[in-house]
Amino acid sequence: MKYGAASGPETKMTTPLLEIRNLHVRVEDNEILKGVNLTIDRGQVHAIMGRNGSGKSTLSYVLAGKEDYEVTEGEVLLDGENLLEMEPDERAAAGVFLAFQYPIEIPGVATLTFLKAAMNAQRKARGEGELSTPEFMKAIKDASGLLDIKQDMLRRPLNVGFSGGEKKRAEILQMALLQPKLAILDETDSGLDIDALKVVSEGVNRLRSDDRAMLVITHYQRLLNHIVPDVVHVFSNGRVVETGGKELALELEAKGYADFDESHAA
Amino acid sequence: MNIQTPVRLSAAEEALVSQLESTGATDAAERLRVIGLPTRRVESYHYTDLKTLLSAVPPLARQGAGAGAPAIDIPGAYRIVIANGEVQNTGTAPNGVIVSKVAGATLTTRDDVLVRLNAALVPESVSIELAGDVETVVHIDRRMEGEAAHVHSGAKIAFAPGSKATVIETVSGSDAGHMGNAGSYVSVGENAEVTHILVDLSASQATHFASLEYRLSAGAKFKSVVINAGADLARAQIFAEFTGEGAHGDFYGLNLVNDGQHKDITLDVTHGVAHTTSTELYKQIARGRGKAVFQGRINVAQDAQKTDAKMMMQGLMLSDEAEILTKPELEIFADDVVCGHGATCGDLDESWLFYLMSRGISRTDAETMLIRAFLEEVVEAVGEEHVIEALGGVVEGWLGKAG
Repeated sequence: MKYGAASGPETKMTTPLLEIRNLHVRVEDNEILKGVNLTIDRGQVHAIMGRNGSGKSTLSYVLAGKEDYEVTEGEVLLDGENLLEMEPDERAAAGVFLAFQYPIEIPGVATLTFLKAAMNAQRKARGEGELSTPEFMKAIKDASGLLDIKQDMLRRPLNVGFSGGEKKRAEILQMALLQPKLAILDETDSGLDIDALKVVSEGVNRLRSDDRAMLVITHYQRLLNHIVPDVVHVFSNGRVVETGGKELALELEAKGYADFDESHAA
Repeated sequence: MNIQTPVRLSAAEEALVSQLESTGATDAAERLRVIGLPTRRVESYHYTDLKTLLSAVPPLARQGAGAGAPAIDIPGAYRIVIANGEVQNTGTAPNGVIVSKVAGATLTTRDDVLVRLNAALVPESVSIELAGDVETVVHIDRRMEGEAAHVHSGAKIAFAPGSKATVIETVSGSDAGHMGNAGSYVSVGENAEVTHILVDLSASQATHFASLEYRLSAGAKFKSVVINAGADLARAQIFAEFTGEGAHGDFYGLNLVNDGQHKDITLDVTHGVAHTTSTELYKQIARGRGKAVFQGRINVAQDAQKTDAKMMMQGLMLSDEAEILTKPELEIFADDVVCGHGATCGDLDESWLFYLMSRGISRTDAETMLIRAFLEEVVEAVGEEHVIEALGGVVEGWLGKAG
């Protein structure tokens, strides 16, 4: 049984799930994204690789709808609909999910309370009734068991005092419960030891499906051994400078980013 | 406060003077005639200028008012009603609780206009003695009933040495422009473990003043919770004194302030003897053009070595016009003490809101979640399950009101 399976309006099979066209974004006086073009189809896993400061995380925040980012040019379509006009909660309801690089600690809000509110909010947006407590608890138990998450952790305030690995597992738990159409994983491997990386990657791989796309942002090839992408993009200086298959990640690992910076410097 | 030239009296001051005279409280009347209501020049009323804020005073309450249903119902609690200052049914008290009436007020004399008014105008007070392990929560249900009235009420609560008990006081009543003045004298015996709670739930058009006096004996473990959730103009004054070594007090409070309201909690804690400890945590939240005031003063006497006191005020402003004012004061005469104070103030954290919204939770719901989380820390501190639930209801009621 799937909880929170995202379903949107009927779309033609030809419409890509996500289409980013010539996206320019600035923060205060700095232009961070300088014309990003990216198209992702359903069922695909795309990886974005790039060094720190190349604008990868900015892209993930802009897609999720964080304030403080000014889009000066370009557009982003999700299922053909203008994503940039939506509030963050509307984007979530439309099927966007961002697994945060640094999940936010919120004292006083119990993790379970938060999970239930999130699941019910999305159900409400789809015109469905609230989950009963037994339904909710079963969903939690099933999903958390697979991620090796203890019930005790879920009773604690959201992310407060969680270890780095616990925070990342909690993000994947949310993703499993909310069943997004588009999952953006921002540096999900950072702060994970090799065992935790395995648990998290397996959690992500279980969620791969024909009607879901993923955008995996990382600057190490390591994560891509576990979550094998269909397409790899190299990000540099605020735009995509190279696109290829999964072997591009290996090439990048061998040569380093400098090669790409030079050959594609504007 | 040494202004001796008679001041020009406002209508409210005239009314108060004549009310005092009508009950024979000529000294208090004369004092008020000379100094008037405190203005911002009086340090302890700096942010709550009564001369400006009090525009009218309703007539003195008449006795014999009936009381409606309690504002909050605590399952299993033993309830004592004081309606318009008159102690009503005292029913059959639970084991370990003795209830009686005493004439007049219960507060100790001090140089404060609200205490003087209470002392002069309380007709009778309820006296409650608690001994042993009192499992029943005692609820003092103070009511301001009928037409708008100036209501004075008093209570004397004595927790015997070694007792364990929870007493909650609520102030509520009819939907009218009452002005309440409640006084409670609370003594906590040696090694007693006690919680005392006061919640103002009076009508929004009302004004409510409360003065609480706490005496904490050796080894006592005491918790105080004060919540302003009712009257448009409210001030709760807490005067606490540690009188025996080894006593510990946790002082909590909430100012829940709506548009146009003014709510004040003024705390004065005196560590009078050595080896006593306290924590103070007061939270204030203001919407619209609401104004919240917290003044916290900790006095450490010369002999009160090894005092440890930590005071904290946290404010949450939900609009650009909301005001949160806080003034901590430490007066320390001993040299081997740990005393600290801190304050934070701001609006809801945007990164927290974004995180919640990124999971599909609407902005309104996310804000409510965060405000509830902010306030719950104080509510949960109460410890007693049914009382936590009741106070949770008070918070939910406030959250449910439109800004």
